Amino acid sequence: MDAFFYIILVVGLLSSGICLVAGILKKAPNDVTILSVAAVELALIVYLVGSIVRVVAGEPIAGEAWEFWGYLATAMLLPPAAVYWAILERTRWSNFVLAAVGVTALVMAARMNQIWY
Amino acid sequence: MEEARNMKAPHSEATQDSATVSAKDTRNTGPGRLLIAVYAVFAISATARAGYQILTKFSEAPLAYLLSAFAAFVYLVATVSLAKAGRTWFRVSLVAVLVELVGVVVVGALSVFDPVAFPHETVWSLFGRGYAFIPLLLPILGLVWLYRRRPGQRPAGEQD
Repeated sequence: MDAFFYIILVVGLLSSGICLVAGILKKAPNDVTILSVAAVELALIVYLVGSIVRVVAGEPIAGEAWEFWGYLATAMLLPPAAVYWAILERTRWSNFVLAAVGVTALVMAARMNQIWY
Repeated sequence: MEEARNMKAPHSEATQDSATVSAKDTRNTGPGRLLIAVYAVFAISATARAGYQILTKFSEAPLAYLLSAFAAFVYLVATVSLAKAGRTWFRVSLVAVLVELVGVVVVGALSVFDPVAFPHETVWSLFGRGYAFIPLLLPILGLVWLYRRRPGQRPAGEQD
């Protein structure tokens, strides 16, 4: 597990935690929960840029390269999709949808690390 | 959404339904949104996984990988049908979720009692242990949600 994974671990768990608590407190999605999901997207962008730099620098991906990039691309689609789905109906349940993003991104980052090494 | 349904509904009975069906005959609101989101994640991951298995190593275990593809299809149908309004889509959801429940229980049991016949992983192997047992939980929650939002019922006032 590398630094990129740990960044997503921390940001993802924080985001999921914030959204979960907001949902339990019966709040609709607000700036805090949506920005926390945006932070997950930012962490994924950092992962993307870092990975491009590493590949350009000549570091090999141990597993299937296209599988790695497929995971990363799919993970990057999740936060915008969840925010879109959440703001269409602003109820507490949408915060649980947002909470799913951080955990899912975390699982996908773990898988991406397995593929890379 | 309601208009699109009218165009697709093949039976006149269904069309009549939709005229009388209020906007309440939906399952894409409240907790349903979370359910659909989780189904969507499973549809994407199962499709990607099955596609990968079939494209790269299909000959290793054709049955297991076809099963993966079938599971992916079931998740896809469940996601779309839960998001749609009306009685026809309710029936599609019900069938998809029931097939999913039978699938995860049967495949899960077979993979426990006859691991030799199921050496290759699918979403439903070991009751979805590789996916934190969410594949087992999902159809149960799906059935509960479908029951609470079944057509012809006054929607229970659980939305906030």
